[in-house]
Amino acid sequence: MAKPFKSTRRGITGALEPGEARLLGALLDDVVSMLEPETAPSEDPLAAMVGMSDADADATVPDDSAVRRLLPDAVRGDDDEALAFRRLTERSLREQKIGALRSSALLIESSPMTLSGEQARLLAQALNDVRLVLADRIGIETEEDAERLHDIADSKDVDDVDSYLALVYNFVTWLQESLVQAMLKAVKLER
Amino acid sequence: MTVGFATGTDTREEVGTAEKTDLDQPWVVVVWNDPVNLMSYVSFVFQSYFGYSEAKARTLMLEVHEQGRSAVVSGSREKVEQDTVALHSYGLWATFEKVGSE
Repeated sequence: MAKPFKSTRRGITGALEPGEARLLGALLDDVVSMLEPETAPSEDPLAAMVGMSDADADATVPDDSAVRRLLPDAVRGDDDEALAFRRLTERSLREQKIGALRSSALLIESSPMTLSGEQARLLAQALNDVRLVLADRIGIETEEDAERLHDIADSKDVDDVDSYLALVYNFVTWLQESLVQAMLKAVKLER
Repeated sequence: MTVGFATGTDTREEVGTAEKTDLDQPWVVVVWNDPVNLMSYVSFVFQSYFGYSEAKARTLMLEVHEQGRSAVVSGSREKVEQDTVALHSYGLWATFEKVGSE
């Protein structure tokens, strides 16, 4: 079982078992492939530099509900306004998230990990995105849904795909909570 | 929001009312409750991204959790647009709106 993250003088430390690291690496890759834009960035170097592309002009609300949760509308109750904003910002948000997911996939390859504040932040963001996708696949829509899954904590509780995903979700939740607690401790020490 | 089960030391502090967002500023960023994001993580984001104190971050986080939404920062349209995208990068469910448009 992974060790909880700890805030130390050298940074935030943690360690995953090899099997856990492989599983998490696969999940991080899955989320990257969900977020990769379908079209290449604009060939206009200036437009590419500022993250704009022809494809942005055609950006639409994602069909996949999990991707929609990762890239939500920034305006409520005005679809035109939300879409216009999406066309300006969605590509760079995708790229930011992909960057955090890829960095995290590299970070978890070392065991034990010693993370800088910035690396810890990227890992926390990536773990959050993994949890958002898993929650969508399991169908967690309310806090009661989430609570029902808390008891699935061991492989003996697993009897189908959904309970397996719930077990994975609970593991990633535990890992993120432990990382965030260590980060909060580090923030407190800095102040 | 949800509570991670790695914790056992979570204490609820007595805090005054959250500083109200400055209503002279015409736009606000609203964070919405969802069943996935951890309460600790949301507090961490409010502290580290906005630079809020632990107490203020916690008050706003609880407002999101208990009331379903909270206006967490106000400012010019440009600023709230930028903050909304930043919160999306953290995976928070955020929107921006004109003050009083809810």
